[in-house]
Amino acid sequence: MKRRPLVALSSAAILAIYAAGYVRTRGAADRFAAEAAPRRAPAANPPLVQSAPPLPRVQQGEPVIPPPTRQIETRARAAAGQTPAVTSSPAPDVVPQPAAPAPSPAITEYEPPPVPSAPPEVPAPTVEARFKDGTYLGWGYCRHGDIQASVAVEAGRITSATIARCLTRYSCSWIEALPGQVVSRQSPEVDYVSGATESTDAFHDAVADALSKAK
Amino acid sequence: MNATGSSIHTITVMGTFATIEVVGDPSDPKQIAEREAAIERAFGWFDRIEACCSRFEPASELSQLARQIGVPVPASEILYEAVQFAVAVAEESDGAFDPTVGVEMETRGFNREYRTRRVIHTGIAARGVSYRDVRLDPKRRTITLLRPLMLDLGAVAKGLAIDMAARELASFTGFAIDAGGDLFLGGCRLDGAPWTVGIRHPRDDRALIDAVRVSNRAVCTSGDYERRSGGDAGHHIIDARSGTPATMLASVTVVAPTAMLADALATAAFALGPDEGIRLLERHGVEGLLVPPTLQRHATRGFPSDYSILQDTKGPADDRLRDPDGDGGSDRGHQPDVWCSR
Repeated sequence: MKRRPLVALSSAAILAIYAAGYVRTRGAADRFAAEAAPRRAPAANPPLVQSAPPLPRVQQGEPVIPPPTRQIETRARAAAGQTPAVTSSPAPDVVPQPAAPAPSPAITEYEPPPVPSAPPEVPAPTVEARFKDGTYLGWGYCRHGDIQASVAVEAGRITSATIARCLTRYSCSWIEALPGQVVSRQSPEVDYVSGATESTDAFHDAVADALSKAK
Repeated sequence: MNATGSSIHTITVMGTFATIEVVGDPSDPKQIAEREAAIERAFGWFDRIEACCSRFEPASELSQLARQIGVPVPASEILYEAVQFAVAVAEESDGAFDPTVGVEMETRGFNREYRTRRVIHTGIAARGVSYRDVRLDPKRRTITLLRPLMLDLGAVAKGLAIDMAARELASFTGFAIDAGGDLFLGGCRLDGAPWTVGIRHPRDDRALIDAVRVSNRAVCTSGDYERRSGGDAGHHIIDARSGTPATMLASVTVVAPTAMLADALATAAFALGPDEGIRLLERHGVEGLLVPPTLQRHATRGFPSDYSILQDTKGPADDRLRDPDGDGGSDRGHQPDVWCSR
């Protein structure tokens, strides 16, 4: 059987795709360079990405809602410390965020941190759902416990999705980490942790449950 | 305390949370703007690759490919490279890893679009298919499915998106990309030291089973604890040779130059089991830690395990964050330039 050098193959794939996609990204970079100086940092680039978990299709002719700013954190890292520090000085456009809660035992309720959300950039062609305006609550479940999401809909579109409550075996700090601080979610000892969490699905379930009430 | 910081953004994509951190000076607005723009571009790759490679999205290029059997279909650069790589990994693992398990995954309950939780049903009757039913024409850049089948590029597409994001951020001295626990760590942290990465314990998600110190490396983990389908039908890694969930290992972590490679080989090694898995990793010159359900460790010879990281804990995170002596907690004797000379 022939053997293939996978390291080289993966590197070649990345270069090929990057070369093919370069025209587009270069355009964005140039546009950004032209606009960056006089403008505020986060607003200078059009959002390329969609951030809200479930995204309804953009209705044609619908008034454009200004994109909610994706959560931006300028996070201080101790200069030589092992531990990533938690939110400090807000950058312009920062969504106010509660300070990282001290680990608390057992069932906890807390003020929801904002979840990054933005209107869809790419229409999801198969999702025809149009949601009624309002704020909806929904539950998601994982083996740690339950997560409640709060989803706000304005003009038929999701304008925010936040974690409203978490009822879990452990403290809520790991849930609180989901929207903005996934980085330090599991361990104070290391910068990052390799290995997936199950919490994402629970959050998405909660958002989907909330949206099922918005039809 | 030193006025140091990083730009960090998180989005939801590919059924998980993706976080990108770019290290830099928080006091220079121009630099901040550059970092923010680069992070946007990096996230753009996640969206592009997901839109192309998702089997949950009927309009994706991958789904469209599945509707054209027996004819060469011209493929985008992203889809062609992803499929070509997935097939190569299938060949390398003698079919234990196989991207044609899409329908098998669907029937096992991995059938929900994560944003809407909508159940998908492709209606494809894929019996006895394998990667040998996928033909690639490197000159014309076409893909031909010889039989009805649905490709599952899950083990490749996320890694590819991480790699493309890393390529986009390559000019920065330090950055980290975390897509649901699959990581790429570029350059160094702000203090000039390499990044420290903990490896999740497969049976206790609040514990770490090992840790490594890395720079310009991907660290990807496949575990039987992730993505269980509805009920208890099993986890998401199928040994394509038997068509059933692989059970010999609880988790596999691979440290490699690209995330695409690390993710795919972690999945392949998981399906192969500890002995064949180690051989596969060593043959390709990447490092790995394979942990069976009984929790013995099987590692490649060069696996950069560094327990000292885990013994570094000095108490609760919150106390350490305050950094009372203002020196940034510097007491470890790092050798920044050794790691971060560029």
